[in-house]
Amino acid sequence: MTEQEIVAKINSSLAEEFEYDLAAMTPETTLFEDMGLDSLDVVDLVIVLETAFNMKVREEEAIRKIRTLGDIHEFVIAKKRQLEGDR
Amino acid sequence: MTYDYAVIGAGVSGITCALTLARSGHQVALIEQAPRTAPLLRGFSRHGVHFDTGFHYTGGLGPGEPLELFLRYLGVGDRIETFCFDERGFDLFRCDAPAFEFSFPIGFANLREQLAATFPAERQAIESYLEQVAAAGQAMPYLNLEAELSQESLLQRVIGPSLREVLDRLTGNELLKSLLSVHSLLYGVSSREVPFALHAAIAGSYYQSVRGIRGGGLSLARAFDARLAELGVTVLCSRQATAIELSPGGAVSGVRLADGELVPCAAAIATVHPQLLLDLVPEGAFRPVYRKRLASLEETVSAVLCFATCDAPIPGLSGSNRFYIPDTAAMDELGGRAVGRGALYLSAAYRDGDPVPAGFIGICPALYSDVAAWQSRRGERPTGYAEYKEEALERLTAQITRAYPELSGHIRSIEASTPLTVSDYCATPLGGLYGVKHMVGQYNPQPATRVPGLFLSGQAVASPGVMGAVLAGLVTCGTLLGHDRIRKELKGCC
Ligand SMILES: Cc1cc2nc3c(=O)[nH]c(=O)nc-3n(C[C@H](O)[C@H](O)[C@H](O)COP(=O)(O)OP(=O)(O)OC[C@H]3O[C@@H](n4cnc5c(N)ncnc54)[C@H](O)[C@@H]3O)c2cc1C
Repeated sequence: MTEQEIVAKINSSLAEEFEYDLAAMTPETTLFEDMGLDSLDVVDLVIVLETAFNMKVREEEAIRKIRTLGDIHEFVIAKKRQLEGDR
Repeated sequence: MTYDYAVIGAGVSGITCALTLARSGHQVALIEQAPRTAPLLRGFSRHGVHFDTGFHYTGGLGPGEPLELFLRYLGVGDRIETFCFDERGFDLFRCDAPAFEFSFPIGFANLREQLAATFPAERQAIESYLEQVAAAGQAMPYLNLEAELSQESLLQRVIGPSLREVLDRLTGNELLKSLLSVHSLLYGVSSREVPFALHAAIAGSYYQSVRGIRGGGLSLARAFDARLAELGVTVLCSRQATAIELSPGGAVSGVRLADGELVPCAAAIATVHPQLLLDLVPEGAFRPVYRKRLASLEETVSAVLCFATCDAPIPGLSGSNRFYIPDTAAMDELGGRAVGRGALYLSAAYRDGDPVPAGFIGICPALYSDVAAWQSRRGERPTGYAEYKEEALERLTAQITRAYPELSGHIRSIEASTPLTVSDYCATPLGGLYGVKHMVGQYNPQPATRVPGLFLSGQAVASPGVMGAVLAGLVTCGTLLGHDRIRKELKGCC
């Protein structure tokens, strides 16, 4: 998967599961202000990423620091690289 | 009148919510579809023998222990009388292959010595296991009022380790592992799936002390009823909630009942099985991801149950329960074996006022999928089902009398329940004994939801069992009224 594909997949999954306009999604989009997520949604965010990329997300600290869509892109790209490296 | 809170489901968690909110001066309506409150606690009678269904024994009910404190806080502690199970063996474990017996004594130190005497080569593993169980129990914020209430880790239980992982690290002795996994029947999740932290909180409370209630769960249900009346809670029984209604702004405005009546309320607490909740809220109220999450929560194991009366008193069954497994692999396959081939649990049943057991209830883990084909409305089940039930009863009776020959020839009447009965009785869509699982890798819901004024409680939120359900009620009320406040009030009762 290229980084572009990863970003596209993240955006489309989140748009669908959190009912947000895909066209309005940029790396600067903030989860809390722009997308209207709150701390309750963090678990669901983790579940969306786990399902979309068939992986387990266990990095609680990193997850708590996420603020923007761009943070999620970076997190997933780094995690995918790490998983591929492990293989 | 508009209630401050409408609580849906008058099980132990719903009653706990109602009492906690009412004691703080709120107007509360408690809505239950069954004819009486706490249907799981009440049990039923056959041929003069009373069978407890959803409550046989519990940990945490000794003086000063968490559940005893919670019940005093709720105002029912002095309305029930508890008794201690047999100190030398509250649970008697038996395995056929290899032939082995063990009595679980009450108390961590006693258990440690008894286990070490039985498995001398495993002393270190045993000590380490019990230390880990005790430590995990101490870390639970409500079970231990001194424990730090920092925002509880979102992922702790989901990450694991599982009970099995902890045991595998400690020992290679399969018999010991089965023995220490036998209490998975108390929460309905196999040792490979259950988070060690949850196992430790539940099993650890039993290791510490084991009690029953005189008159069984029914006495507790009656004590709850008296207290609900005292605090002026409006109890609506035989009333099924069919919809949680929202205002145009999207906040909870009332609970619609099957007969069309609306119970207006500022907030609602649903204690029902999470999958049943999905039928109650308007389609768009939850996000698709949350809806899917609730819909896909896995269900705890179901069971075939039997209820037997005996023609002679059976003193051996008093003060302790029996756990039987044919072989050590049986504990790994909770529900995965044909009825009569897997694990078995027996608990005493009493004739009114008689201290010596006059019958017993047997529970054999089973899968809902075995009976799913006959799923239909109550009272309309097709013929194949009757045969299944008859065969299950025969196999179960044969297993019980093989495992416990002292009962053979004394069973006067015996009736069975299947996973379909359990599904109706426990209000669990797939017949789970304890609702949805608490398991590694599964995210159970928390009390707050996105819908303003809608909160969740029940065993899915905290943990199964009477103590887990009370805990769930307190945790939900903590979300509503402030955790510090509830904990302070609890400490005031210490
Ligand atoms: C066979 C068996 C043995 C057990 N033994 C023990 C034991 O020895 N010790 C122990 O501690 N625990 C035991 N348990 C577990 C314990 O009984 C439960 O964990 C606990 O009672 C769950 O409480 P709850 O309030 O979460 O759920 P519930 O009691 O299921 O409460 C939910 C309530 O909601 C009602 N409801 C559902 N839908 C609606 C609706 N639409 N409208 C209105 N009402 C609705 C249901 O009728 C139910 O009364 C046992 C359970 C079983 C099944």
